[in-house]
Amino acid sequence: MPARDRSAYAERQAQLLAALLRGDDFPSGFVAARAEAASSALRRKRGRTVAHDWPALTLCLGDTFTARFDAFDRGAGATASGAPLPDGLAFARWLETAGVVLDDDARVEILLGRAALRRHGVWVRAARLREPYPRLLVVVRMPFAGLVQRSVRLAER
Amino acid sequence: MTTPTSPITTRLGGGAGWRPQIDGALAQVETLGFIEVIAESIGAGALPDGVVAARERGLQVVPHTREALEILCENVAIAQEALPVPLALEHVAALVQWPSPEMDEATFVRELIERTGALLLLDLSNPYANALNHGYEALEALARFPLERIAYVHVGGGVLRDGVYHDTHSHPVVPGVLHLVEELCAIADPPGVMLEHDDDFPPASELIAELKAIAAAVRRGGERRACA
Repeated sequence: MPARDRSAYAERQAQLLAALLRGDDFPSGFVAARAEAASSALRRKRGRTVAHDWPALTLCLGDTFTARFDAFDRGAGATASGAPLPDGLAFARWLETAGVVLDDDARVEILLGRAALRRHGVWVRAARLREPYPRLLVVVRMPFAGLVQRSVRLAER
Repeated sequence: MTTPTSPITTRLGGGAGWRPQIDGALAQVETLGFIEVIAESIGAGALPDGVVAARERGLQVVPHTREALEILCENVAIAQEALPVPLALEHVAALVQWPSPEMDEATFVRELIERTGALLLLDLSNPYANALNHGYEALEALARFPLERIAYVHVGGGVLRDGVYHDTHSHPVVPGVLHLVEELCAIADPPGVMLEHDDDFPPASELIAELKAIAAAVRRGGERRACA
């Protein structure tokens, strides 16, 4: 098979994937109703894997998880990689923009998730937490040293 | 007619896909012949990122054309060269289909298996789902799959939603799929048949009942084959 045929084939498959995942136009000839069913089936499946990999976030959202993930996925869509870690982070950012208030556990999970996805350079982030006492959680990711986290107690207010 | 026999001579019997959530339930099943462990269930680190992403995106729907068959055969050959183990290929349940197919699914799978020399991981829920969703006769199609190349058989649950059958692996196995298990075992002798349950796990008693129902269907089919 000549290389150009392989790349044309890869392009068509990528187009189908973009339609299923991001709501782009389907290649011509696909049955619209079936295509929508396939997209929502994939959305449900992605929601389940994100829920599995982001337990604190999922617990925090409770019954609203499915509806919120659905709204996120229809609007912003899956990340290019489509893996649960970056998908969960994109979802967390979307929740933040939507003004959803998350509990401490979910925020720590997101912070650590962000750190885990950093591959280069020094990365420092902090979150103000309420439990079990008012504190500042500082997360640092450095080359070779990996991930370091420290809690700094804040004065009671 | 001779019964198609698999190149796999080990009798696997009845099996199940291992998941940590059903570990306890599976331990209670004395008749369990084998378990299938997928890398995904033993930790995220067990899989390269690209594979996780590919799984996440859902399985790709391949057009049933000569061109796609050529490319797929080449890809299988590349994988076979790189991996020191025999490969078994599984076909998918697809809600959408590429337009203008040049052959049906059974023919496509048969050609792919014959040309690559790979084994067939036959998923009975898939011809069931595809037949229902795309309007053809599951049993007739099943008989034309390369049944002589079966590594083992997958059976999974699903649900009919808005007139479309979804192969979810998180619902009970429907009677139509159990019927296909019996019909398959009436015309072929697969080395093993296993239950795939991946999510929304039922109580152990339900899971065990499901494994028994599959084993009973295998037995009924086998008895019919012996009498034929």
